[in-house]
Amino acid sequence: MRNWLIGLLVVGLVSLWGCQPASKDKQEPQREVRVAVAGPFTGNAAAFGEMIKRGAERKAKEINESGGINGMKLTLVFGDDTGTEKEANLVATRFATDRRILSVVGHFNSACSLAGKEIYKANGIVALSPGSTNVSVCEGSDWTFRNLYRDDFQGEFIANYIQNSLKEFQAVAILFDNDDYGRGLRDGFSAAAEKIGLNIVASEAYDRDNTDFKAQLTSIKAKNPDLIFISGLYSQAGLIAKQARESGITAQFFGADGVDSPDFLTIAGAAAEGTYLTTPFTFDLGGEEAQRVASEFEKDYGVLPDTWAALTYDAMGMIADAIGKTYNADATLAENRKAIRDHLASLDTPEEGYKGITGLTYFDINGDTVNKPAYVKIVKDGEFTTAPVQMVN
Amino acid sequence: MRDKLTSKNIIFGLLIGFFPIFMYAVDYITLLLSYRDIYLPTPSGDYILYIAVQVGLYTLLAIGLNIVCGFTGLLDLGYVGFYLVGGYTAGLLMVRLGFSYWMVLPLAVLNGALWGLLRGAPTLRLTGDYFAIVTFGFAELLFRIVKNEIWLIGDINGFVKNIPRASIFGIELNQNWHHYYHILVLLALVIFVTYRLQHSRVGRAWVAIREDEQAAASMGINISRYKSLAFAVSAAIGALGGAFLAPFWSSISARSFEFWESILILCMVILGGKGSIKGAVVGAIIIGSLSEVLREILSNFPQFGGARYLIFGIILVLLMRYRPEGLIFKRA
Amino acid sequence: MEQFSEQLINALVLGGIYALIAVGYTMVYGIIQLINFAHGEIFMFGAYFAFTLVTVFNMPFWVALPLSMLLCAMIGMLMDLVAYRPLRNAARLSALITAIGVSIGLQNLARIIWGARQRPFPQESLPAFLRQGFPPTESLPAFTLTETAIALPGGAYLPYRDLFIILLALGLMIALNRLVTLTRIGKAMRACAQNRVAANLMGINTNKVIVITFAIGSALGAVAGIMVGIREIIEPTMGYYKGVAAFAAAVLGGIGNITGAMLGGLLIGFAEVFGAGYIPYGYGSGYRVAIAYIVMIAVILVRPSGLFGKSTATRA
Repeated sequence: MRNWLIGLLVVGLVSLWGCQPASKDKQEPQREVRVAVAGPFTGNAAAFGEMIKRGAERKAKEINESGGINGMKLTLVFGDDTGTEKEANLVATRFATDRRILSVVGHFNSACSLAGKEIYKANGIVALSPGSTNVSVCEGSDWTFRNLYRDDFQGEFIANYIQNSLKEFQAVAILFDNDDYGRGLRDGFSAAAEKIGLNIVASEAYDRDNTDFKAQLTSIKAKNPDLIFISGLYSQAGLIAKQARESGITAQFFGADGVDSPDFLTIAGAAAEGTYLTTPFTFDLGGEEAQRVASEFEKDYGVLPDTWAALTYDAMGMIADAIGKTYNADATLAENRKAIRDHLASLDTPEEGYKGITGLTYFDINGDTVNKPAYVKIVKDGEFTTAPVQMVN
Repeated sequence: MRDKLTSKNIIFGLLIGFFPIFMYAVDYITLLLSYRDIYLPTPSGDYILYIAVQVGLYTLLAIGLNIVCGFTGLLDLGYVGFYLVGGYTAGLLMVRLGFSYWMVLPLAVLNGALWGLLRGAPTLRLTGDYFAIVTFGFAELLFRIVKNEIWLIGDINGFVKNIPRASIFGIELNQNWHHYYHILVLLALVIFVTYRLQHSRVGRAWVAIREDEQAAASMGINISRYKSLAFAVSAAIGALGGAFLAPFWSSISARSFEFWESILILCMVILGGKGSIKGAVVGAIIIGSLSEVLREILSNFPQFGGARYLIFGIILVLLMRYRPEGLIFKRA
Repeated sequence: MEQFSEQLINALVLGGIYALIAVGYTMVYGIIQLINFAHGEIFMFGAYFAFTLVTVFNMPFWVALPLSMLLCAMIGMLMDLVAYRPLRNAARLSALITAIGVSIGLQNLARIIWGARQRPFPQESLPAFLRQGFPPTESLPAFTLTETAIALPGGAYLPYRDLFIILLALGLMIALNRLVTLTRIGKAMRACAQNRVAANLMGINTNKVIVITFAIGSALGAVAGIMVGIREIIEPTMGYYKGVAAFAAAVLGGIGNITGAMLGGLLIGFAEVFGAGYIPYGYGSGYRVAIAYIVMIAVILVRPSGLFGKSTATRA
């Protein structure tokens, strides 16, 4: 019994200590709004998480430097979902039931967005993903949005681009990441390729936890492809490019947005040269605002922002914008969260869309972004540059 | 188990039984204490309740694994395989064939037991680390199968999405306190069955096999039969956990069943003290909530945010250093 | 033919890498019957140490290599002193959980120190024959030496680096076998492996022998880590992924047996590469790792104590 009493005493003391800052707030309410950012800050997608964190921090800093949202300070809360569903469920519950959090930017991995979907929906809080491209991320929930295109669009786009602009490449081999991203993209690509009559000579899988791809590359090499479509993430894609060149494969490489990270260049080294890739955004074509953000970002972190930093920057901007337009200090939390959702859902025409550095974002009935173009980049002299031929419709 | 009705036990029972009410009371009080839209910086009771459900699920799994690891003394590194079987049996039957959760539950348990026997048959004569690595390989195979066999699962990467919630008397079980009592009932059932088994002829045979297989055989214990029974019961409990998981999460993928989960459950069993049900419960509570407690504490120190699992590892080492037989163990 | 000879090389190299790691598992296991889960992390630290010594301290590769082996040996010894020795007489599974704890801790320590991003080993700091190179596009006659590779009959190229890995694995295995069978310390190791208590009674300082075993195993792990770092990439999770396969190799060969670890490594490497390369319709590549495990399970079911394991009494 005595242990129980001591335990209770300790709990009581801790909660008293916890209450103190709050009672100080009562005298001079220093107003702040909190937005949560969920992403893989550790685990094997941590390099993406790092950029997401920086993109969000950069936007929050800008907002706060220019006086905050309606004079209120924007505070970010970071939640690490490690790229797994289990942690994503926990992070989503943590955020959705936190009364100080108005909205969530995240998650990055499609599996995490899908896991969090039901929790966000049940608790009535918006989750705006800057990175999940799986087809069904936004289906069936009014509370989930994303500000980039879906896998099926991108796969089709790549197939069409190869058909229209890279006519000299006849035989295509696919090497795909055996996970939702790589596989979803491959399915979109193969379906479109079949429709337009692109000749696919090989389709091999690889696992994300591997670092040796020579076996698959050797069997692809035997089929003599002109072009290899790497449907996966930059870390494996970099190694694949390197090991392919080492095995004497001379085919052209084509990647998707998962390859769009400066780390691809450092990992692949000279083998990256000439690789084509698609991306939802490129800073070269992003206009003055994007250039300004890129240079400020570089000042802060010493590296240039990548696509994910830019998309998170815009997602944060959209949420901040929605809070600024709808926030009512006298309303309850649920009403404020609902108002943010209603505002985002009302952005359903190009005129009403949000103009960010990655272009115009507006949503369809599901919360998917519509008509956001894909750009094509090419690696030239060890750097990403915008490819001469674009296919923006 | 057969403890007396002491005041300590009554308090303990009340704490468990009324835990959701306490948690929602906490939520209500913090709401009252907050000023307009400025809220207390404490995690919500609802979230703590969610962690409690997860701990409950891990407790269930730890008790199941304990049957093979603790009672028969074999190192099982692939327990997550049965968890996966249960999860996919429930998820697929509910989504693709529209079965109700209560129909699926016994089917998943049976399917789990079947897989336990399937894996058990060829591994009966393996010992020690050879058994361990075969169980590991088995779980890894199942993991790859749900990842690759799209015709079976219906989606890439083992995704089963939009799994309907369980419902009882027409009420959908979608609140955290629903899940809490749900897992509590399953847990009580499992503890009861395991306890009865442990203290029966079967349990004594298992211990005899663990202590000395040859001596047990010469005493007339049918080794293969009792080992197979242990595998089947253990696997059935794992599958029960998986069947609970599917509607609880409402979407599962292959990634939810990685090797790491097996390790986590194993840590709970050993840490608590293998061979004891109480130990499995204590181990699951500690390991299951440790990483969340660390997340809460470390969120106040952003500079150490990445240190969560470093500290987790250090705590594991220290606990084993000072309590090598586990926190709860019977002195023989 | 070209495809076959290339796959053969791929398999040999991968198998050699697995063998190098598996030897570390098997040595420690042979002596204290502990699955040292943290061995994969030592392997990863070896790669990071060499990387840091070369990039930050600008050391030449041939200095960085022994130095990181030394550092890893020290970590291995420290690990034994701090984590495993207090548990020497406790249940085996307790020591296993400690090993898992050490593994989780070290992996996340590396993540904190070096970050989660992958790092390629700076190729320019390597001696010329270990560098990565792109073979000429036209095929050369067999056994022509290019700058970084040797042309083989059938049109494939074997990089010197990969040849070096295979020879290194082979050489180290022979050296280790010699060490265990011919030297005094080797004799002490075998004595400890057979019966630690009896060895202690015979005047062997068993703790010293175990520490030395950890040091040697860890130093070998460091070499393997550096080789993988050069050939592939350095990342905090590399120890885990490669370590699991290597552990399977060690068990497959008969855990505790050095020759067995070598052959087990090669077998796993061959199963992976030939499975992924020749099983059609994407099954091979989709199940690449699984194929290796199927082979492993099949071998163990036929020979319940591995290829070279002693069939001990049926006691756990």
